[in-house]
Parts: sequence; C-alpha cells; structure tokens
Amino acid sequence: MRAIPIRILAATLGAVTAIALAGCSSGSPNSTTGSGTPGAASDQPVTYALMPDQGPSWVAPISPPDKMVTANGALHALMWVPLFQYDGASGKLEWDQKASAASSYTFSADNTSIDITLGNLTWSDGKPVTSRDVQFSYNLVKNNTDLWGSYSAGLYPDSVKSFTITDDKHFTITFDKAYNQQFLLANQLSMIVPMPQHAWDIDKAGNPVGDYDQTADGAKAVWQYIQTQAADVSTYATNPMWQVINGPYALKSWAQDGSVTIVANTKYTGDDKPSITTVNFKPYTSNDAEMNDVRAGALDYGFITPDQLSAQGQYTSLGYNVVPWAGWSITYMPYNFANPTMGPVFKQLYVRQGLQSAIDQPTLSSKVWMGAAMPGYGPIPQNPPSDYLSSVQANNPYPYDLTKAEKYFTDNGWTKGSDGILACTNPGTGAGQCGDGIAAGTQMKITVTTQNGSQQTDNMMAAIKSALSQIGVSMTIQSVTLDNVLTTAQTCKQGTDCSWQLVFFGTAGSWYFSAYPSGQSLFSQTAKWNCGQYYDTKAFDLINQMLTSSDTDIAQQYSAYLAQQLPVMWMPNPVYQISVVKTNLNIATQDPGGAFMPQRWSWTA
Amino acid sequence: MSELRLVPKRVDEIAPRLSSASPAARAWRRFRANKLAMVGLCLVVLLVLFCLVGPLVWRTDQIHTNIYSDLMAPPGTPGHPLGTDDLGYDVLGRLMKGGQTSLIVGLLAGLLATLIGTIWGSVAGYVGGVVDTIMMRIVDAGIALPATFLLLILSAITRPSLPLMIVVIGLVSWLVPARLIRAESISVKQRDYVQALRAVGGSHTRAVARHIIPNTVGTMIVNATFQVADAILLVAYISYLGMGIQAPATDWGAMLTKGITYTYQGAWWLIFPAGLLIVITVCAFNFVGDGLRDMFDVKGREA
Repeated sequence: MRAIPIRILAATLGAVTAIALAGCSSGSPNSTTGSGTPGAASDQPVTYALMPDQGPSWVAPISPPDKMVTANGALHALMWVPLFQYDGASGKLEWDQKASAASSYTFSADNTSIDITLGNLTWSDGKPVTSRDVQFSYNLVKNNTDLWGSYSAGLYPDSVKSFTITDDKHFTITFDKAYNQQFLLANQLSMIVPMPQHAWDIDKAGNPVGDYDQTADGAKAVWQYIQTQAADVSTYATNPMWQVINGPYALKSWAQDGSVTIVANTKYTGDDKPSITTVNFKPYTSNDAEMNDVRAGALDYGFITPDQLSAQGQYTSLGYNVVPWAGWSITYMPYNFANPTMGPVFKQLYVRQGLQSAIDQPTLSSKVWMGAAMPGYGPIPQNPPSDYLSSVQANNPYPYDLTKAEKYFTDNGWTKGSDGILACTNPGTGAGQCGDGIAAGTQMKITVTTQNGSQQTDNMMAAIKSALSQIGVSMTIQSVTLDNVLTTAQTCKQGTDCSWQLVFFGTAGSWYFSAYPSGQSLFSQTAKWNCGQYYDTKAFDLINQMLTSSDTDIAQQYSAYLAQQLPVMWMPNPVYQISVVKTNLNIATQDPGGAFMPQRWSWTA
Repeated sequence: MSELRLVPKRVDEIAPRLSSASPAARAWRRFRANKLAMVGLCLVVLLVLFCLVGPLVWRTDQIHTNIYSDLMAPPGTPGHPLGTDDLGYDVLGRLMKGGQTSLIVGLLAGLLATLIGTIWGSVAGYVGGVVDTIMMRIVDAGIALPATFLLLILSAITRPSLPLMIVVIGLVSWLVPARLIRAESISVKQRDYVQALRAVGGSHTRAVARHIIPNTVGTMIVNATFQVADAILLVAYISYLGMGIQAPATDWGAMLTKGITYTYQGAWWLIFPAGLLIVITVCAFNFVGDGLRDMFDVKGREA
C-alpha cells in the first residue's frame, strides 16, 4: 500500500479516536448573578475574557471610526464617566445615574433645549469636573465630525444650536428643533464624555494648556494632539494624559495584543465605587482557545459557544455558573425588494406573511439554539422588556402554522406543481391573484445567502428549509463568510445585477441598538442598512416621528406596524454571549448594551 | 559399474506449467491469493449494499429535519438504533445517505481523474520531445499546488453540488495517474507491435487508442482504486472544512464535522460511525488496489 494513504488514514483515525441586551421627562437615579453575600473590597483580581477580534485597541474616549470596538467604549466608561450612561444594570435599559457625570436634567417645554446639572465628580488630580469639561468635549467633536467614529450627519453635534455654560455645574444645550426626549438622552447626549480640559487642551506637544478648543482651528489641533498621543499603545500605561481620570478604575497596563489590566481609582469621588480592585481583560484569537482556558479554570468570567449549552455540566462542575447574556438587539433576514425576479414577489405582503408563518421561532430558539436565542417578532428588542415594545410585536402576529402559511399562497393564485413547488398560476393584480409584476409560472424558489462558521446557524437554516419545503417553497442555502454576506447585502440598490434575495448576518445578532431603538439606521428610506430597499411611507413617517415626536407611544406604534408589515423576515435573536462566571463572583446584571461594569462585581464569601 | 544414462525429460516437465484455465480465471486466482484484497472486496460490496440497498430496508426521512423530536438521542433509542443527530435525523439512515454521496463522488471523481490522467499521460509519453516536456511540467506545477487549497477556493466561489464536487475533485486528482501512465506509455511505444503499426502507416491516434492505452490498463485500474480512496478522503476533507454539499444532503465528512462540535457532550455516535466508515472505505479500496496490482503484475509469479 502507498505511503500517502496510510498517513492520511492515520490522521483520520487519530482524529476519530482522539475525539472520544424608559422613558421620563426629568431625571432620577436607579441600580444579580452569583450567589452568596457580596463582599467588601477585595484584592483578589478578576480575569475577564474578551471575544475574538474584540480586544481593546484605543485609550482616548473620543474614537475614530476604525476604533469603535465595544470593549474600547466599555473601558473608556470605566475611566472617563459619560455624561449620561444608559445600561441595563437595573434589569431594564435606562439611565444609570451612578455611572453618569450628570446628576439631573430638565427639558424645556418645547423640547428644544435641556438644562443639565453635573454631579460631584473630581478628576484624579483633584480638580472638579465642570461644565467647561463638557464644553471641551463638545467643541472637539463639533469641529472634527469627519474624524469621530460616532458621527451621523444631521444628528449630534450638528443638531446642537448652542452650548451655554451657566456655572461650573450647570449648562444648557439648545437644539435646532424639537426632538424626542428619549432619543436625545439615550442616543445623542449619551455620546458626550466630559474630558479634562485643564489637562488635555493642548494644541501641540510642548505647549502649555490653553483654551484652544474655543476656535475651530484650535479644536482641530487639540483633536490631532490627543489622537497622536493615543496612537502609541506602548505608552498607554505611562502617558500622564491617560492618568487624569474621573472614573472608578485607572489603567495599569495595556499590551499590544489587547491585554489590559485596570485597578481601582483610589481618588474616585463618585457613587459607583468598585469592590474588585484589579481586573484583567484577556483577549483571545479563537473561541476554542478561550474555552480551553475556561476548562483549565484560568478565567473568572469567560464565555462558551452555544453548542456547549447541552454540556453545561462540565462547566458547573468546574465551579462556573452558565449565564446567557441577552443583547439589546434584533435579528432578521432582509428581503431584496430590488431583485429583478423575486423583488415583485417579496413586495407582496401575503408572501412575507406566508414565509414568516413558517418560522417556528420558539422551537428554533429552544432546540436549535439550545436556549441561546430568544424569539423576536419585530423591530424592537424584546429582552429586556421595555416601554417601546408593543403588545402586537410581543404576541407574535404570525405564529408558526404551516397550514396557514401555505394558505397565504394558495389564496393568492399560487398552486403546488408536480415537483411540490408553488408556482403562480393566476397572475394579475386582482383579488386572489399573485400580484403586480409576478408572471405566470413564477416559482417560489428563494436563495438565502447566510454567514458560515456556526453550527447553530447552519442547523437553523436547515430547519427553515425543511419547513418551507413543506409549504412548497424551495430554499437554497448559500453559505459564505460574514464579510461576504455584508458585502453582498450592499452590492446593489437596483437593477438587473441585484441578484441576492435574502441575506442572514445574525449569528451574533443582526443589529445592536443604542438605548433608544429607533429604526432610523435600518428601515428609513435612505438608511445604508435598508439594504433590501424596503419602501413604506407610513413606516418612514413613524421612524421620523420616533426622533422628533413627544408622543410617548410612538415607539409602540412603530413596533406594531413593522411587526405586521414584515420589512424583513424576523428571526430568533441570539444572545450577546453565553457567560461562564465563577460561582463566587457576583456580577450583578449583564448589560444588554454589551458593556462590562466591574465596579458592580464582587467576590462572595 | 553402472552406466550413466541421460534420460530425456518431456517438454511438459521442463516448460512452465500452463493452466487450462482462462486468463480471467487465472487473474482471479491471483487476486484471491491476496487475502487482504478479498477482505477489501467484501468490504466494498458490503459498503455499497449498506449505502444503496440499506435505505430501501431502513426507511428514514433524510429530507426534512425533525426538531420536534428528541435531538441527539443516544443509540438504542426506540426507532433509532444509532441515535439521532442535532436536527433529529436518524443517524443510521444518515450514514447510508452520506455514504451514497461519499461513494458516488469518490467513484466518479476517481474514474474521471484516471480517465484524464490516462489520456494526458499516454499522449505525453507517446509523442515525447517538447510536447512531453511541456505537458509534464504542467503536471509538475499542478502537483506543487495543494489540492485541498484549490478545492477550498473553488468551493468558496461556487455553490457546492454533487456534480460540481465530482468534476472539481476529478480535475485536481488526475496529475499522479498522468505521470504513471506516461512512464508506461514510453515503454509500450518501443514495443515491436507499435513500431509495426507505424511502419505500415498506422496513425498516431490509432497507436495511442488501440495499443498504448490498452496496454496500460493494469496500471490504470490499480491506480483508479487508489484514486477512488483519495477522492473519498477529499470529499471528507472539504466537507469537514464546511465547504461540502448543501443540507439536507450530507456525506460522511460533513457528519464527522458536525459530530466533532458535540465532542464535549459525549455524543460519540455522531463521531465514531462516520469516522470509522471513512477509514473502512479507504482501507477497503486500498486493499482492493493492492490485490489488483498483484493480479496484473505477473513478473516472477506462477501464471
């Protein structure tokens, strides 16, 4: 026998045998996983695992577009307290005053301005956090919008008409028009991070601190100075700039690979004092490497992949609690309404209703995702519950029913052929006919371009394909890389080359929202991520009102309308991550926004 | 004093013993003499029966998922002697279904590779000169490129399907057979009967088609069995890397990949059956190949 096959066989044999994430008009404060009683300050460090490709890479609290990793923002919030911090610490995604620089606010009667009062935070060099620090941050962003990663044209800071300082602790921001209060607080003002003007207002290395930010050119120079300082990762722990902080933690070390160690800020004067004195953030290049460390007990707070949920016992026996971390997100498959062949089909509401009725989200979530996903029936995240969620969406307007799913088609001019596939046999635009643009003989053959690399996604697609085949819809699955799916979804806006039909990029959730889940970036007419060219003037009007209306029910109206109109195919929403946490580590509530808040963690006795 | 007498021996005593059996029977006898080859042949027959006849006896739905039943039920669960997988498919039925893909792709891709390699090699060897040099440098260049790498690129830019896998694997596997057949054809073209054909005006095409290729059939068949085994492994490789054919179709490599995901859950029935079937199949074809080599190689053996 030849040598090569023997080697191959040996390898094969070896492989086989070896495998044996609220509304109010004036502010007020608010605030568990783990067991036992929270302990006092502890010197015992916590080692926290960061997901692959999610390692922190930027220290400055104003990030350029290519430094928008969640871990960067979460670390910044620990050292430089945001003006308004929105998180899920209370079990509901709302303003967390303890973790914010603002202590209260009041909107004008016409919703065009807001008066903000700062709390009693001080910088680590003993100077108080003042209105000037907030203005400093605003001036930098206003004059460097094209360099700021969080910038959206027309919104903050473009929407700010004036910034007026009343005194060291009070200031007023006036906007160009009336905005929805929740939208302003949760999505706009939450992006402001007060920065130490008395230490960072420098336009050039070697120059003394000044008021350079008060002019456009000066602000550009200061921005450039800060960005230059932040470009050298090797100096993060030693550069005095990054030691002027006002948050509960200070930076101790920051390695090129993204390993970061933070220690409790002994000069912190806020209300959110940490009990854990040292936290190590450890980045990984693969899930397998991280899970090996979990199995070795090298991590205090890590994660596992969804397929590990069926073997939770091995982790609990190692002294871990397995805690799914729900994200403030939705998951969906966009239809390409601009596809020359299937676009007219997808434009028919009955088609979308029929397809949606064949998606058994509760079963897919519990059995295929093993509980690592939760059903989602519309444009508002359903976990944690919020005041934005309508009862229509929450109660699923299109429950799983294959008989009804098929009836949507057969009642509208479609008949199953000898091949078991539905075909349009009664074309036209009248009642009971297929609808505008659908030719006789058009078959219900759809192609889903889905991201690969996930057993759960593969299985979910196989289960959906199976269900659709039972109602006469032939589904072809095209598995490609996530980057490929995202590129495909943006390849065309109209025309004959618009070949994709449905795309899925939701293995870790399709879209993560800011605290106020407006559909501005997803379903508005000009939104980049309205990749399927969904067009509905009522939906566009509701989306616009979500940003400008003072109607507190507008979000629910939007939720109900899009849950019924199905601009996309709603899918089970996978959790942000499945955490494994040492049983004696109390991590309180995991933030649906994806931020880690070690100041709320504690070791239990 | 005794007289020394020379007793002439009969011709049948000094000539090699010639059997009255036909050439085919004699070849079969040589094949049977290789016990591992017989074991391999039996295994191939059993595997073909398991994959092609098995589904007619053990009827299971391998088209529709059954996520409403017990997922990953262990072997011995009523109605599922080898348990179920993570989509509720019966594993025994899945092995049969997956085996069909593996065997069909393996056999057809192996035969395609042998066919291309035979034609390429025989032409290069017969024509010789610059043509031979160019053709064989192309082969050398092709061998330098890892087949798995090429397969993954092709799988990434095309939609995997059964016919496509057959063609693609066949197109990356013909290089070694081409070398073997070239060497053989260089030898054969020197033979008198080929020279005679050319002397009487026979065409090159006729020389290759009627004399070169038929006289390399032994090498072709032996190599074909190894090509089939290699093709089955290649199918397993690309499926293992997630670039195989689309669900609900499957093959043993894809089943093995899925099973490995559940290693820590102790779902051995998703790993061992598929893995062992790959090993057994590849071994069987290699044993048969060894036997065929013995069968065609008569040097130093009793006819």
